[in-house]
Order: sequence, then structure tokens, then C-alpha cells
Amino acid sequence: MKNMWEVFVMDMSELAEGKDIELSIRTLNPGLHKYTYKRVKCQVSAKQDKFSDSLQVRMGRGQLSASKFSIKVLEEVERMPEKYR
Amino acid sequence: MSKISAPKSNREFIEACVKAGDAVRIKQEVDWENEAGAIVRRACELAAPAPFMEKIKDYPGFSYFGAPLSTYRRMAISLGMDPASSLPDIGKEYLKRTNSEPIAPVLVDKKDAPCKENILMGKDVDLCKLPVPLVHDGDGGRYVGTWHAVVTKHPVRGDVNWGMYRQMMFDSRTMSGAVFPFSDLGKALSEYYLPRGESCPFATAIGLSPLAAMAACAPSPIPEPELVGMLSGEPARLVKCETNDLEVPADAEIIIEGEICPDYKVEEGPFGEYTGYRTSPRDFRVTFRVNCITYRNNATMTISNMGVPQDEGQLLRSFSLGLELEKLLRSQGIPVTGVYMHPRSTHHMMIVGVKPAYSGIAQQIAQLAFGSKLGPWFHMVMVVDDQTDIFNWDEVYHAFCTRCHPANGIHIYKNTTGTPLYPYATPHERKYSIGSKVLFDCLWPVDWDKINDVPTLVSFKNVYPKDIQEKVMNNWTAYGYPEVK
Repeated sequence: MKNMWEVFVMDMSELAEGKDIELSIRTLNPGLHKYTYKRVKCQVSAKQDKFSDSLQVRMGRGQLSASKFSIKVLEEVERMPEKYR
Repeated sequence: MSKISAPKSNREFIEACVKAGDAVRIKQEVDWENEAGAIVRRACELAAPAPFMEKIKDYPGFSYFGAPLSTYRRMAISLGMDPASSLPDIGKEYLKRTNSEPIAPVLVDKKDAPCKENILMGKDVDLCKLPVPLVHDGDGGRYVGTWHAVVTKHPVRGDVNWGMYRQMMFDSRTMSGAVFPFSDLGKALSEYYLPRGESCPFATAIGLSPLAAMAACAPSPIPEPELVGMLSGEPARLVKCETNDLEVPADAEIIIEGEICPDYKVEEGPFGEYTGYRTSPRDFRVTFRVNCITYRNNATMTISNMGVPQDEGQLLRSFSLGLELEKLLRSQGIPVTGVYMHPRSTHHMMIVGVKPAYSGIAQQIAQLAFGSKLGPWFHMVMVVDDQTDIFNWDEVYHAFCTRCHPANGIHIYKNTTGTPLYPYATPHERKYSIGSKVLFDCLWPVDWDKINDVPTLVSFKNVYPKDIQEKVMNNWTAYGYPEVK
């Protein structure tokens, strides 16, 4: 299934292509968990058909960017220290 | 004190508002994603009745109550007063009650606490089981806490703090929130918990009685549970949390218990703010880890939608900041006639009326105001004389434009405490909560001769003899004018 994700960035350069990067992305899939976040290792591309999942971009104050990306989630990243899990 | 009949719960408050025509019941289904927020925002901008949304998409059994205190009428209802009460009368009542004897809260059994009707623990804990709204399109997340109280207790002193720190749902068990370093909670985190790497127990109470919400929002030195008692005339009913030692309002609609992780931050924001902008960008902020959720049957979630004036973020904060400053100035023996913040200033301008009894009184007022605990929340103080009606913006604006000397009457204070939410502040100032303040001294200098130097105010009330004024007023309709209300 194709998933829809969204990311907030302060600068488009945070979406570096051609390498593994870490992002906090939120799901836009319909349902009760819409807009919840995951921290992931991923690859992104400005070519919307490169990866199966879509990535919508917003800037730091919520402005929707015209740029659309595709994304491949490689793995979830656990940032929370063990003592709080 | 005469018996106060103020609403004791959010439910009683909704009923009172509906009865007075100050809330509408919305029967059709409303979407938690943007639609509910848009309804609340429009109601705020039109000063319309508060929306009570009884059917929420995806969340059967839950409801929303928006814009709970975004008008002075609803503020009067919350205090058990006539909805048509004037603002000065509401202010006098607030001062009377908050200057009365403290009323300690009572602890009730779990079985008598409606907020315990449903309890989610362990793997059942999921914030998405609550109808957390997406308040504004483009917000960084769905906001759990927009009109609520975050309950904490100082680890050493033991004093209880209820604060209205906004909270965003990050994932099913995590919230992130904006806690400023100068706030009570911010100081406890940086002074105690962070150096020790210990978590701080918290409980978020949503759907409070309006006076409990007022107490959580008020910058009063009185502990909030006692302040609620003073405002409502009877003890606040509290109940112990399920997973920590905190005590929360027993009649609240929803309680979220957990721990603040002082050394672990996650992304929060952006969010529509009380200034009418999204000023603070997305950033790493305080993390709240959720361990337990309890809620009433058919729980009602309260929503405050902050943006351009006027919503309760501006109205209530302006109200309580002004009155708390009035108390402070009176406690210092300053002959103030009143203090008022117009909500449309987004609680940035404090207007102080004073008898100009001695030189430098405006500077003394500004230094006390800016140097107090209230100071970070506003950056302008305007001091007018006791002949100017501080509630009448036309009079205040006239005084400002005619009496404030451009070179001698404007005093600037640099490098003070600010907030990241000031729209005018530079990015550097926002990042480090650096502020600047300004005093507009609109008093005639005391060394001016009152006969020869001070200009005479030319107004109907000031230049005509009393008998002429009365004659003109009595004959006003006879002259052919409509009656003046």
C-alpha cells in the first residue's frame, strides 16, 4: 500500500537526495492515527515516482511547499532514552 | 461573602451558556481535522456564541466545547454573574474574591470522581483514542492541550502548579509542549530535574470548570487549587492520580498522567498563537511521556483556537494580567485608579491610570511591572492620569497622541526577558527569550505650572458649566437627536 507522509523543514536542503537521512515524518494516511509522528531513516527523491510512498513538505511555520517528494522508509529510529520507554 | 453560584464543572458551564444564549449546540457531525477548529476560530472572530459540538467524526460519545471564555459575557457567566455585567464590574468581583481568605481544596474518593469513569493503562494507552483536534491547518500536530491545566508539584518546596502549557500529540504516547524557561515549570525543570536526569510527574486536566481554567491561566501567586476555591466560593474537589501522587480536578473531563523527560526533547509546533501569528517555528521542546488516561463518560474536550483577536488567550490573559498588576501596584502604595489591557493588544500593552502624585511615578510603575513575574508577557506600559478612562480606548489614544512627549515620554528598556512568541522580535531574541520594553508616559510633568503650563482639555464634560451640560443633555432629543444610550 502506498503511504502518505509529511515532513516539516526549515530549509529544503534538509531533504538531501541520494543518501540515507533521518527525518521526523507524520502519517497522512486516513484514520485515528493521522498526524502522528515517527522518526525514521529514509531516502527521499524529488522524483515522485522514484519511491512508492509520497512525501509532502511544509516549512517551519506550516507553509505548504509546492515541492512534492517520494520517500522510502528504511527503518524506524528510536531516539527515546531507554529509561523513558 | 454572599453565596456564589458559579458553574462548578465544564458541563454546568455549558448548560449556563446555552441557557443565556452564549453557546450553541451543534448537532451535525463535525470533523476533528480542521472543521472543528475553523468553527471555533470563526466564532472567536465574530464574538459569536461558543460552539458545543455534540458529534465528532470517528469519535462517537465525545464532544467538543470551543471558545469557552472568549467573551466578557461568558467570563461573567463563569463567575456566576449577570452575563451583561460590565468589564469594570467583572474586574471588581475578581479582585474581591481573590483578595478574600484562601479556600483549601478537598480530596475526594475515586468513586466520587467522574474523571475516573474510564481508565486506560499500559498497552491501552493511546492518545488517538481521544478526539484530539487539528486546530489550524498547517499546525505541527493535533493539539491535546489548548484549554487545560498541566499539574505539577515542586520536588522540594511541594507547591502545586497548574499551568496552561500547550501540548501537541507527537505519537500515541508522547506529547511535546512549549514551556518557557521563566515559567514555574520551566524553572523547576532546569533547576532540579535536568541536572539530576530525573523525570517530572505531570497530569494534564482537560475540560475543567471555567474557574479552574481561569486559575490555570492567571499569573497569581496564590496556588491554583486555592485560587479556584476563592473564585468559586467553595473548595475545589480534587482526586489522586492513578500513577503518581499528583491531585487533579475530580470533575474534569479528561486526565492524562505521565512524566516529563527533561533530557529528551522532540519536535513541537508550529501552532497558531495568541499574538495572531505563527511566530515560533517548529523546534525541539519539552517531552511529556503518557502513562495513563482517564476520562468521563461522554467526555467533552475543550478547544481554544488562538489567532487574531479575540479568543480567550487574549481576553482572559489580558484580564488577569491587568488585575494582578493592579494588586501589585496597590501593594506598593502607588495611587493607581485602575489597570487595563485591551484584549486586542494581544496582552502586550498595559494601560495604567494613576494620580500623578510625584515625579517619576510612570517610571516607577513601568519598572515594577516589567520587573515582576508578570513582566515577560507584555512589552508596553502606557501610563495615563486619573482623569482618563482607561477602559475607553478613544480617551487613552487621545492622551497618548497628545501628552506623550516624543523625546521625554518614551522610555526604552533593552535586554529584558521576552518570549519566543513576540512577532516583532528578531530570530536571535526569540531563540533566547530576549525582550525589549517601552514605557509611554502620558502624564503632564509635575513641575509644569497647572495654570500656565498644562493645556486645558477641551471636551463637553470639561469646558461647560454643569448647568449647561445638564440642559443640553436633557434637551438632546428635543433638539432632534436620537436618545444616547
